[in-house]
Amino acid sequence: MSSDLAVKTREPDPLPPEKAPFFSRPSGKIFLIWLAMTVVGVLIGFYAPHHLLPTMLSVEGRAVWATVVLLTVLAAPVAAFVYGVGFYSLVAWRQRGYGQSDEPPPDGPPLRGNSGLTILWLVVSGVLVVVMLVWGLAELASENATHPNSLQVDVTGQQWLWTFSYPGAGNLETRSLVLPDNRTIVFHVTSEDVTHGFWPVELGVQVDANPNVVTTIQATTNKLGAFTVRCSQLCGLYHSFMYASGAVVTPQAFAVWLHAHGASALTASDVARVSSSS
Amino acid sequence: MTTAAAPALLEDTQLSSRAGGLYRHQNIVTGLIGGIGLGAIGWALSHQFLQGSNWGTDMVVTVTMAGWVIGLLLGIGAFNAPVLWMLGHDQTHEDELYLAGVGQGPRRYWKFCTDHKVVGVQYLIAVFTIFGVGGTLAMMIRTQLVSAHSSFLGANAYNAIVSVHGMAMIVATIIMVTGPFGNFIVPIMVGAKDMAFPRLNALSFWLLFAAVPPLLATFVLGGVDAGWTTYAPLSVQAPPAMDAFAITILTFAVSVTLSGINIIVTVLTMRAEGMTLNRLPIFTWGAVIGSALGLYAMPAFMVGMVMMITDRVSGTSFFVAAVGGSGWLWENIFWIMGHPEVYVILIPPVAAMLEVVSTFARKPIFAYKVTVGAFIAIIALSIMVWAHHMFTTGWAPDLNGPFMLTTELISIPTGIIFLCVIGTLWRGSIWTRLPMYWAYLFLWNFIIGGVTGIYLSDVPADNYFHGDMFVTAHFHYTLLGGAMIAAVAAFCYWFPKVSGRMLNERIGKVAFWMVAIGIQITYFGMFWEGFEGMPRRVAYYDPIFLHANQMATVGAYLLMAGFVVLLYAIIHSWVHGRPAPANPWHAKSLEWMVPTPVPLENFLVEPVVTADPYGYGEPEPAAPAAEPEREPVPVGSAETTAGEPV
Amino acid sequence: MTTTTIEHGGTLEPEGDGHGVVEGGGHHETRAQRHLKERIALWLLVGGDALFLLLELFTWFYLRALNTNGMWRGAACTKANACTDGLGNPITSEIPKAGITYTLVIAALTVVAALLVWWAEVSAQRQSPRRIISAGAGFALLTVLVAVVVQCYQFGQLPFTTIDGAYASSFIFFMGTTLAHLGLLVFILTGLWVRARRGKYDGGHWFQVGIIRFFTAWCAIVTCVLAATVILFA
Repeated sequence: MSSDLAVKTREPDPLPPEKAPFFSRPSGKIFLIWLAMTVVGVLIGFYAPHHLLPTMLSVEGRAVWATVVLLTVLAAPVAAFVYGVGFYSLVAWRQRGYGQSDEPPPDGPPLRGNSGLTILWLVVSGVLVVVMLVWGLAELASENATHPNSLQVDVTGQQWLWTFSYPGAGNLETRSLVLPDNRTIVFHVTSEDVTHGFWPVELGVQVDANPNVVTTIQATTNKLGAFTVRCSQLCGLYHSFMYASGAVVTPQAFAVWLHAHGASALTASDVARVSSSS
Repeated sequence: MTTAAAPALLEDTQLSSRAGGLYRHQNIVTGLIGGIGLGAIGWALSHQFLQGSNWGTDMVVTVTMAGWVIGLLLGIGAFNAPVLWMLGHDQTHEDELYLAGVGQGPRRYWKFCTDHKVVGVQYLIAVFTIFGVGGTLAMMIRTQLVSAHSSFLGANAYNAIVSVHGMAMIVATIIMVTGPFGNFIVPIMVGAKDMAFPRLNALSFWLLFAAVPPLLATFVLGGVDAGWTTYAPLSVQAPPAMDAFAITILTFAVSVTLSGINIIVTVLTMRAEGMTLNRLPIFTWGAVIGSALGLYAMPAFMVGMVMMITDRVSGTSFFVAAVGGSGWLWENIFWIMGHPEVYVILIPPVAAMLEVVSTFARKPIFAYKVTVGAFIAIIALSIMVWAHHMFTTGWAPDLNGPFMLTTELISIPTGIIFLCVIGTLWRGSIWTRLPMYWAYLFLWNFIIGGVTGIYLSDVPADNYFHGDMFVTAHFHYTLLGGAMIAAVAAFCYWFPKVSGRMLNERIGKVAFWMVAIGIQITYFGMFWEGFEGMPRRVAYYDPIFLHANQMATVGAYLLMAGFVVLLYAIIHSWVHGRPAPANPWHAKSLEWMVPTPVPLENFLVEPVVTADPYGYGEPEPAAPAAEPEREPVPVGSAETTAGEPV
Repeated sequence: MTTTTIEHGGTLEPEGDGHGVVEGGGHHETRAQRHLKERIALWLLVGGDALFLLLELFTWFYLRALNTNGMWRGAACTKANACTDGLGNPITSEIPKAGITYTLVIAALTVVAALLVWWAEVSAQRQSPRRIISAGAGFALLTVLVAVVVQCYQFGQLPFTTIDGAYASSFIFFMGTTLAHLGLLVFILTGLWVRARRGKYDGGHWFQVGIIRFFTAWCAIVTCVLAATVILFA
């Protein structure tokens, strides 16, 4: 670089950074912004899922809620840090008067990297990933655990309606899904035509309904209430109208309901089938 | 300017009246005649001989569309040189110059032109056109969804529009940076005179051009009702539009493959003296890495679409379970293509945006090598994560854990990109010109897209969110809010070099605020729908989702209006803008060292590179000139730049 | 910071033999540069083709392992329990395997074609390149054309059609892939033959022959892998 191209660098900051009090240094101010935004993020994490998610009627549904809260809380400090530096750079380091100018402001300091910071960043994100992963795998394991005395329900999708059948109750077929409370339900899902997505929304689980194969998913109910079964895979013209109503009722009410719908053998006949329906 | 006598510009060469041979008579008109003609011949023949067979209409549509593509390429002259090669003739230097557009003025933009800058501008116009189509369709979707049971479109038209919106946007975003800037900027950045294979370059653009009309033709062929993911067996049963859709994708995939090979070979073999890999501008890395991943993704798309076509026109059963096929086969092949593809979309614009951040923070890129390593780690991991799109399909529940692992691991290299951005901003001299606005918007959006992505990577949470509007909002935050906004930053950054004019920043900032606010309103509305449990791709919905949908629609109108204002700013500036100096941002990479407009073959003198282009604030080159016997002539400032506005 | 030095007054100087500069898009480059470019591009192209091939094999083995409805080769299809074919008609018996003779012949012919091109490239360095290369390319072209004919004949002889389940579909897909590669070879070998006869390779510049040898060898690998799959894992 020839001498007539003298590099313009900014005036140094008024106080040498290491001597200034922490909260008047950029890092101290960014720390404060970070802290405030982390708090906001954590509050959002607790508040938003609680108000936005529907009332979950199953253990798996509660796990969705807990996962969203946990992941938001884990992500909040990271997002707050990035936003903190971003906002601070706009407020404190923006070169005023250059916004319309064709001349660039003087160059910033030539910092090309910081291996300590990079390693720290990798370690922190690695730890967060491990926490996420352990949480996810633990939940996955508990959702896949087999439960004795589970209720088997066959689900068949076709364009554009759902049919539910209770093999333990004389293959009673219905268009609405009624389930007993405090029971593990195993859904055996298949389709008669194209791929559908079996999604009982408030149970917090879903699995695709594929033609000629049976897929399974299970949910353990733990709360009384109504829910909706929707189709989560585009399945043709009236995909929008492919939904069914459902309800989690007390075991007594469930028995009465089965009886009212003409299910044959009632007493203890809806215990788990020995083998899967495939 | 250099003291040496300026060599005569190549574009002033006088060519004989025979230069170019057949190419002299070929342009977009002969291309269209060829395409429509061969398409019509294909239609007539197949209608005559194949219509009566079991899959008649599908065969007729497939043959007609293939005829259009081949005819267009024949008419425009894409096959002239290969056929001549086969017959033992080589093109002369004059032919090559003619092909590069010498002596044709603006007409060269309508021809099979090998000049990489012409191809870049052609790509730019194509990208804007496809975005215009996709955006208009998005507005129709949002209008349909403004009330729970709107009769604006109807279910069939809605599904068709959703499918084409998706595919048009995927096509446009894949090429939005590697097409225009990978062609226009990358060769100049590395100090090359053109792309490695100029004819292949022109071919990849005209393949793209041929791919778009069949996509639009789907609307009159019954509409693709299976979404852009075209899950089988629904897509196997779809109207004949699906055949045209498959031809679009095959043509497009060939185009992306060829252009990817071209970019990689250009950067690997045609760098200027001294342009070591450590000194490559980071955008070049991004273009190469994104293109390499495209080479992995596109063959999968082709395999899938070939099988889709044979299932539809000859009764094979790759995806039809009743006859021994499997929808899961399609889903696997589709996502083996589909997940790498989102990084094909993302990496080049992000890398381009890092150039913007460095230039407007007046600082070197922070942790340059680590960031390049992160890009490479992302593409390596991205080929191992496809089944996270299939957590809820039930195809292999035992693999959900491993795919959750790989998916969450990819957030580590993605996080490095944030480190790079905030590290570059740290203590920078932030110069708030228009490109930097968009870079900040990227930072804001991409964090939200990333955080919502980790919910979806968690299998139990994905069991709730899969297939609902939360997913839609998430990938729009990453691909529109992230990749496309980064591409707009890159566009505003290179606009002066491409057009020779300065972009009107006053109108541009109006557009910026409309887009920035529109994105937040639209996609927060969609997150809200998703939390409440509204499935994707529904034309009618439960009234409980009404307010969230209305919010999204209002935001979408604002967003679209913002892009229209941006388009106005672009057109206005391209016509009336202030002439741009060669280096308006006082940046240091090679594309700013050449005159504007860039001459044919780019460099009046062969560049020799002695340092990377990020030496902001450094009084001396980081690495002194590597060529001791030569006298380096500095060109790093406006006074000595090799070219003023012409 | 970037600096520019003035080295050549515009373009690179041609190499001494007058053939050193080849044209490409209106600019000059040396043969070495051109060869490096073409070699890397070919590797990338073959890499993409290899992925195409891998996904075809994935299709074969995945459908074979799933055996949905027992319809890989329809072993479960009986008169009492008929399966349906692609047109909805009943299938009442197992789908027979395709004969392996033609498949083996096609694979062998592509290997022969690859060896011929290889021989031409090696021998041309010792003797008259015009005669040797045109002979090698000509015979290789003939071999490939024979393979195309065999392939078409095999299609007529298949004991099943496209509608007969996953095995039939995959088998015909493999045949299509082979045919596509043979078609490319016909084009390339015709060019090589014509160009050799016109003396394009007389000056000792048979780099292009090497490129074609590489691609021919790759096509031979493709046909052999596909043939091995259909024979060993029917």
